Amino acid sequence: MSAIAPAVVFFAVAGLAPLVVRDAFLLDSLVLILIWGTSAAAWNVAGGYAGQISLGHSAFFGLGAYAAALFGARWELSPWLGLAVGAVVATAIGLVIGYLSNRLRGPYFVLATIAFSQVLLIVGSRWRGFTAGSEGIPVPFRPGFWTLGIADKRVWVWIVLGLAVLAYLVQLYLERARRGYQLAAVREDEDAALSLGVPARRLKVAAICVSAALTAACGALWAQYIGFVDPFYVFSVDLSVKFALAAIIGGLGTALGPFLGSALVTTVETYLRAQFGGIGAGLVGIYLIVYGCALIVMVRWVPQGLVGWIGDRLRRRAVARVAP
Amino acid sequence: MSLLSVAGVSKRFGGIVANRGISFDVVPGELVGIIGPNGAGKSTLFEIITGFYHPDEGEVRLDGTRLTGLSPDAVCRRGVARTFQKLRPFQGLSVLDNVMVGALTRTKDVRHARERARELIRKVGLSEKADAHARTLSTGQRKRLELARALATEPRILLLDEVTGGVDQRTIPELVRLVRDLHAGGLTLLVIEHNMRVITAVAQRIVALHLGEVIADGAPDAVARDRRVVEAYLGQAYVQ
Amino acid sequence: MHVIPQLIVSTLLLGGIYALIAVGLTLIFGVMRVVNFAHGEFLMLAMYVAFWAFSLLHFDPYLTLVVSLPLFFAAGWASYRVVMRPVIHASHNVQIFTTVGLSIALQNLALVLWTADARFVRTDYYAVVVRIGGAAFNVAQIVAFVVAVGFTAGLFAFMRWSYTGKVMRATAQDRQASALMGIDTDRVYAVTWAVGIVCVGAAGVLLAPIYPVYPTAGLQFVLIAYVAVVLGGLGDMVGALIAALVVAAVEVIGSYVIGTAWKEVLYLLLFIGILVVRPAGLFGQRGAEALGT
Repeated sequence: MSAIAPAVVFFAVAGLAPLVVRDAFLLDSLVLILIWGTSAAAWNVAGGYAGQISLGHSAFFGLGAYAAALFGARWELSPWLGLAVGAVVATAIGLVIGYLSNRLRGPYFVLATIAFSQVLLIVGSRWRGFTAGSEGIPVPFRPGFWTLGIADKRVWVWIVLGLAVLAYLVQLYLERARRGYQLAAVREDEDAALSLGVPARRLKVAAICVSAALTAACGALWAQYIGFVDPFYVFSVDLSVKFALAAIIGGLGTALGPFLGSALVTTVETYLRAQFGGIGAGLVGIYLIVYGCALIVMVRWVPQGLVGWIGDRLRRRAVARVAP
Repeated sequence: MSLLSVAGVSKRFGGIVANRGISFDVVPGELVGIIGPNGAGKSTLFEIITGFYHPDEGEVRLDGTRLTGLSPDAVCRRGVARTFQKLRPFQGLSVLDNVMVGALTRTKDVRHARERARELIRKVGLSEKADAHARTLSTGQRKRLELARALATEPRILLLDEVTGGVDQRTIPELVRLVRDLHAGGLTLLVIEHNMRVITAVAQRIVALHLGEVIADGAPDAVARDRRVVEAYLGQAYVQ
Repeated sequence: MHVIPQLIVSTLLLGGIYALIAVGLTLIFGVMRVVNFAHGEFLMLAMYVAFWAFSLLHFDPYLTLVVSLPLFFAAGWASYRVVMRPVIHASHNVQIFTTVGLSIALQNLALVLWTADARFVRTDYYAVVVRIGGAAFNVAQIVAFVVAVGFTAGLFAFMRWSYTGKVMRATAQDRQASALMGIDTDRVYAVTWAVGIVCVGAAGVLLAPIYPVYPTAGLQFVLIAYVAVVLGGLGDMVGALIAALVVAAVEVIGSYVIGTAWKEVLYLLLFIGILVVRPAGLFGQRGAEALGT
């Protein structure tokens, strides 16, 4: 169980930063940190708290992105509506994946989730009549809050922060509430949880659905912020891994971890892209090499993530101070 | 009036018959032991009573209501709790959180569940370990933890799979005393136990299984002297 | 009617290659209980090896094949030592993320070194077409099939009769017992991993003259291999062999009936369907998937 204070500081700094910071690059980084942090937090609900490791969460992200983009570009409706519809559709698919999670464990479940995101990738990139196919969809810019056509990055920080805080509160609920304790039991040992009267199957499905809906909401905001949806990006396995990576680096099953992980991952990515992006298109991949290696190193050597690692350090220091 | 009634339960796995027409009753407040050599079908029977397996034939009732067909969590909520032969504590959670999971089946209030869990942890003698991770416990401590966790669900009948198995000699008397105390407190228990000395000492009645069938059912010393029971165990001894 | 023989021969040719990829994957799973999510990246690397050997040294891909076997054995051995060995007794989740991390690192290493451009190995006999009973095929496909079948047969013989193969099968059945019997399981895992990589490395070289190579080229093939491996029952080598043919048939017939654009959807849906209906595979025992082993 983690203390709330660091999270309050984190979100307060993020919320107040736009009042001070005018630099577009920094504000852009902040928006991205919050979007990826929220996506990672959403992943964490299923992967960290419920123990259902998915590498297909980009399916939900892409659904949200497409829903927002299609509502704006095709039907000239509000992307907020698109966000809601995307979240509902993602929840429906979450039900199916949740059902699968009750039949499959470990690598089988991972493979099934990858297959799901691949199916959506193919549909997104091949169904020209509906999705504009592999070229992707430009999201039209229509000024106004209802149409999410906002040029001011400060406002974006606050919009995304709202979703980030929601995702954080969902995680906090999972640490403090009855359902959270029960879900932790399911993650540790499903049969033992069942034997204690925990409705394991329903809880897992619920966690995956909430995770899916939050991820779709992130996708919708992201599409609206970036202004373009590319099927090969939003449905990619790399993107799913990115969510997982931020959560793992920050600390699986911790509420603030995904946001800290995202701050680190996004900063490194932005830096490496800026550093090597200009030289040759291929060198952009360097940050992904770093991702891959970081993943291998983290799960092996720092499985508790940043939050756990910092926590250990503080505790050790506290003990050292008391001891002499 | 029986509390738990097992009626004509059979279970096959492929060609192997694990349980064949098993029937017996447990009355409220009774402590019934289940014995039998390896492969007698004791654990399968437990899995069937607790809803993890579904029997091919027969049914299990608790106080007249049918348990068969319910999922394991629903069976627990009806009032049947269990421990596992191969211990399954929630490794990554603290002892307190482990027990709270059980308590939260009966209360929605987390604080209340925490108090209740502390009480039970004291009852099984694990208070110093309350905040330790379950993975740091010894086998004997894990047995107590599983006991506390199961008790937290406020069972009407508690099924114990191997109370003393895998525990060193010195810990056995303490665990036996714990089981006796629970029974003295009015709890109904169904206990699988390998150790004949232990089971004849605590049980009021013993059901003996062999090759999936009930071969004896009665008072402990009568069952211990039963010719078929002795044969089953001796046969086992010769094989080993 | 020339369609039916063409479809049958296409299925066989495609299935032969898929089998070689799937057999390596299932071997690794069977012995080590690890799903290698980086399998496709080794395939991609092998295709690049064939490409560079061809364009820089003018090596024919079939000559490269001979050279690449020890090369990929060494690469497999090294990647086991550095990446897999530290997590061989860790939880499933740790192993999954380790191989996923390896996959991402290798894929993007290729991207950085060789860009995202698709590259082709254009041999002299690329366009040479052979006719078999009314069906037309190019030589590369047939050679790939023949070599892949020979290679797979060789692997089966190795597993069946060689001492190392027997030890590997013993470890697959019960790793604890094998360790107690004095088997050096660490060495067995290293050999298994390396042999699995050699299989997919050979498949990559064989595919190079037929398909273009680019950093993510491995994904499409390895997805097919996953389908085959799960369909055949994870860890079951004979099952994988048969399942590879089934998947190839689905792909060939699917392409013919609904067009190549949607054929992937077909086998992915087949995959999800199998996971729902018979997760332990066509021949496997039920329940393995729920145990997560």
